[in-house]
Amino acid sequence: MTHHEEQVMGTVVTIDLYSDSGPSAVDLSPLLNRARAILQHADNVFSTWKLDSPMSRIRRKEITSAQAPPEVAEVLQLCGTARELTDGWFDPWAMPGGVDPTGYVKGWAAQQAADALASPAITGAIVNAAGDIASFGGVARTRPFRFGIVDPLAPGRIASVVELSGALATSGTYERGHHLFDPNARRTVARVASATVSGPDLGLADALATAVAVAGEEGLQFVHRLDGYQALTISFEGTMQWTPGFPFARSTTV
Amino acid sequence: MIVIGATVAGLVGVLTFHTKPARLGLGVLPGASQSSASPTSSVAAGPPPTSGSSSPPGVAAAGSTTTTIPPTNQTATGEAVNYNFGVLSVSVTVSGTKITNVGIASLDDGGNPRSQSIDQQAIPLLKQQAIQAQSANIQGVSGASYTSAGFQQSLQSALSKLNFK
Repeated sequence: MTHHEEQVMGTVVTIDLYSDSGPSAVDLSPLLNRARAILQHADNVFSTWKLDSPMSRIRRKEITSAQAPPEVAEVLQLCGTARELTDGWFDPWAMPGGVDPTGYVKGWAAQQAADALASPAITGAIVNAAGDIASFGGVARTRPFRFGIVDPLAPGRIASVVELSGALATSGTYERGHHLFDPNARRTVARVASATVSGPDLGLADALATAVAVAGEEGLQFVHRLDGYQALTISFEGTMQWTPGFPFARSTTV
Repeated sequence: MIVIGATVAGLVGVLTFHTKPARLGLGVLPGASQSSASPTSSVAAGPPPTSGSSSPPGVAAAGSTTTTIPPTNQTATGEAVNYNFGVLSVSVTVSGTKITNVGIASLDDGGNPRSQSIDQQAIPLLKQQAIQAQSANIQGVSGASYTSAGFQQSLQSALSKLNFK
């Protein structure tokens, strides 16, 4: 396994490449560099902390999204789709201070980076953006990845383990709260302690997790409508609810 | 019939449920999450759970286990690093090839109330993730985390002092 840590987007994104052969068999650094460049580029375009980023300039209304790099319009369109799919519970346009797609960008960028890692030289890859995970393949050709889900009531512990190849995003009240903004009540709120969403794409999974954390258990319904996406909520009392296909790891697989 | 295994209370036990989807297609699992332990207490960094360690179905495992510190433990403190909301340094204890504890050696967030609430929530999370990720049979942790680059940097420098890889 080749492990890399990239400091980007105000956090650490880890990139893990798994292969059947020994680590020195193939030079994986071109693959890694491609993924790293995608992450850094996304940060440069979308950061709301960097005052000169195109996104910051849009928020100050110095430029329109049409004058920004094309991926800005792409992400804003994806945000619009996520807003529709979540019945408005995910809404970057309702954020105080102007449109803020930060809640989508981290997952989107990690997914782009993961997609760029596809190669016959590896059996699988994980891009873990501070707890939001984009992955494909597995530890070996026939063994998918296993990921722990943090227990929101005791954040040092794992509440559950899932087994999957794909995306896994968790939102909760114990993180930086700024994107858990209820666009309906226009204030920061959460109705469950955490919400986890699995699915093929981390951008959407991340947006869904944010929406479910704010909407609460009824948010499971809009995830249930979507092909390929599953959700798990953990309430403030510790009650778990999940959609029928949620990819819990089987206890027999160790 | 679906068989679902969920590790509860971290590494302490495996809980097996026999359940079927409820009428609305949503599973409900009351009280599945155990929160008896303080997040800042030390945790067992023992071997990953195996099928042999399963609790009986429907019986939650006990709370935290405190590690007995073996005499071979070594502790080092990493460099003080700026992070988004202040300055912190991390201490780490290793025993052989295992990290057995991670702690905050110093933390100055300038009294910023938002920063303090982040620290209180996120720092314990980061500590435990560092321990769990290497102990459980998992390749990553999904959580609403605030993974501070500064935390990782100081942890790495502490580990380097111990020649820990």
